[in-house]
Amino acid sequence: MMKNTDRTRRQFLKISSMIPVLILISITGCSGSAPAGYPASDIKIIIPYNAGGGFDTYVRALGPYLEKHLPNKINVLPINVPGAGGRRGASDVYRASPDGYTIGVFNLPGVMLPQLQGEDVGYDLFKVSWLATISIDGYAYIVKKDSPLDSIEAVKQMGRPITYGATGPSSTSYIATTIVSDALGIPYEVVTGYTGSSEYILGVIRGDVDAAFANLSTVRPYLDSGDVKMLAIIGTESTDPTIRDATGLGIPELNNISVIRMLGAPPGLPDDIKTTLENALLAAVNDPGFQDWLKQTGNEVHYSGAAETTRSVAGMAKFYENFKQKLE
Amino acid sequence: MLELLLQAAFDIFSLQTLMFLMLGVLVGLVFGVIPGLGGTTALAILMPLTFGMEPIDAFAMSGGIMGAVGAGGAITAILLNAPGTAPNAATCLDGYPLARQGRAAEALGATSAASALGGMFGVITLLMVLPVAKELILLFGPPEFFLLAVFGLVTIALSDSDNLLRGLITAGIGLMLASIGYDSVSGGVRFTYGSDYLWDGIPLVPSLVGLFGITEMIRLSISGGSVAADTSSVHLHGVMLGVRATFRHWKAVIRGSIIGTLVGAVPGVGGTVATFISYSLTKKADPHPETFGTGRIEGVIAPEAANNAKDGGGLLPTLAFGIPGSSEMAVFLGILVLHGMQPGPAMLLQNEREIYGLILALTFSALLSAVVSLVWIRWLAMITLVKGQILAPLVIAVSLVGTYAIDSRPGDVLLAAAMGVLGYLLVRFNYPRLPLVIALVLGETAERGFLQSMMIGHGEWGIFVATPTSIVMVLLILLSLGWSIVPALIKIFTKHKQGPADEKA
Repeated sequence: MMKNTDRTRRQFLKISSMIPVLILISITGCSGSAPAGYPASDIKIIIPYNAGGGFDTYVRALGPYLEKHLPNKINVLPINVPGAGGRRGASDVYRASPDGYTIGVFNLPGVMLPQLQGEDVGYDLFKVSWLATISIDGYAYIVKKDSPLDSIEAVKQMGRPITYGATGPSSTSYIATTIVSDALGIPYEVVTGYTGSSEYILGVIRGDVDAAFANLSTVRPYLDSGDVKMLAIIGTESTDPTIRDATGLGIPELNNISVIRMLGAPPGLPDDIKTTLENALLAAVNDPGFQDWLKQTGNEVHYSGAAETTRSVAGMAKFYENFKQKLE
Repeated sequence: MLELLLQAAFDIFSLQTLMFLMLGVLVGLVFGVIPGLGGTTALAILMPLTFGMEPIDAFAMSGGIMGAVGAGGAITAILLNAPGTAPNAATCLDGYPLARQGRAAEALGATSAASALGGMFGVITLLMVLPVAKELILLFGPPEFFLLAVFGLVTIALSDSDNLLRGLITAGIGLMLASIGYDSVSGGVRFTYGSDYLWDGIPLVPSLVGLFGITEMIRLSISGGSVAADTSSVHLHGVMLGVRATFRHWKAVIRGSIIGTLVGAVPGVGGTVATFISYSLTKKADPHPETFGTGRIEGVIAPEAANNAKDGGGLLPTLAFGIPGSSEMAVFLGILVLHGMQPGPAMLLQNEREIYGLILALTFSALLSAVVSLVWIRWLAMITLVKGQILAPLVIAVSLVGTYAIDSRPGDVLLAAAMGVLGYLLVRFNYPRLPLVIALVLGETAERGFLQSMMIGHGEWGIFVATPTSIVMVLLILLSLGWSIVPALIKIFTKHKQGPADEKA
């Protein structure tokens, strides 16, 4: 008698325990792959810098506008993955699942150069599902405010090699410095080892070095306060007739040298998800609220869409291939 | 300036802003207490929340966090020998022995008061120096950085004259560990064995959690018992004793505050160096330096004063040039930018009112966190009564989780564990851990400073005495060396003199 009730109890438990499992399976089955429901949960956006640094605040400011222009009420979560010069963040995005819930910022050519040199980087920029270009930051050629150098010609006539400050020998600042100076025929020495662009800008102001190439966005406050003056600008067009750009210096082919931040997703992202993200990004970037923030903080956005971004990645790789020996 | 301060005070004392200040203080205390987490993490997590806030509220909250983290970290440093934040590691050295003697409440009272006083000192200095901030920052170039690093290394390595050789050995180990990773001068990657984790070098916070926190828990498990060796002598009412001790030892407070402000103002050097140098110099200046490490109350007062003074100092390069004085400041920079302020020479002119608001927030935070933590202290001190068998696994678990929370890297957790074992071995065989930590922190600064100086000076040694600042640093180093070595030499010579004299008699 006891055995019978035991058996029925066991059977009852077996069947009833199946029910929540079946419910769970059907729920997860529903949300995963149906594109009509995308995005069904929060989207992670990976920032390859420390919180508060580099491009971090830019992405954090854009996040809410991206949320606004994506269907469904989900959050865009900025996740900082600093390290290895941006490569850690890049490989984290690359290795994620191409379901549209992980995207990230790639800083080029920073993460491209090691790939071109054949290093084992954990990503392939040619396979990334590119979504958009967000910013293009040209290089300002700066000297300190009371420097006797007031033009590139003056630099050429210095009579001794000019000293530049830069971060590391494989950094984009170093590359820009060497490529442009060689093309202009300026003899130079580079003092490497500064931990960031703010540090070597200070080095210029202090007099450790004569000059430096620095991203416009980083150097603007020092230009505004008058601590440094700009002799030339590479990578973007010059609107000031007294400041020459690459074309004005006779090296238009070097207009490609700039720091570009692109948004990308893991390889193999389905086209419909890609389109959703691309449209949302375009709307976010053009949102009057974001435009206001840009004006308020003095930032700029240089947007281009997915197809053009993919093309420029290929073009950039070809450009820097020419200078591969310099990078060794 | 006074008028601006009054205006800023008016801003701060609105109910809403005060609430955010209080929130910052509470968050800061909690994040400070958990080893591995700290001001940087707290600010980073709360940064997005500040997005829609008024700038003054965001700054009040940030100031609250920055001022309170050190106070929170001192609690775990004293009670569990696990530094809540990296700079608190110096507080462990005498704080934990005090706890073992049952004087935890006294130590906690002393650190609260020291934090409050140090914080105010740092902020006052900041206010006085802000007008000439730019010129001051420009005084430190690569040669001066190198000399500063050497000064730090000399101070620490020579701080324990009994264990001089072993101190030098562990400092050497620290320097070797510091060389791991990407070298920004040569562009080479050293000793990483292809691992991405080691690319940026050995991270400091997990190392400290391991060397001081986990090591101590291992020791506790092995020795048994509870933190307070003799539980019958735990004085839970010693808090006011501690506060009074801080005012009595005002010299240690001043010394710690000055060092904290100065070192905090040098970008890239960070709070850990400030607290350790403050500790070492206080020890050296004492008539009985050998008693440090056994539970001298000045040994907790000096580092904690430095810990809060460094915030005032750290704001100097951050506000004046947008160069963060520490990683906390780096995140704070992000908050500034998020609210449309570009740190730099321009900001000091355009956003004066908000800046004074921040400065006031820092001051009040130091005071508030002292008051809040004093309320908890009696109960917190009871942790020292808990048996090691229960406490140790709990603390190790919390520390490792906190370490993981920093950057979500499993490597950090492994490193903390490995450092815990290394730390235990060092302690077991009587090798000091302090020089290892300082060498780890300063190694990169020293090497980079040296190599860059050689590049700038074209290989001439004269670059190291080229500016008044560098000459002052060189003199400081020689003084430090002299102070330590000369007495030792005198001892050796007098022994020789006595020897033959005895024989004759």
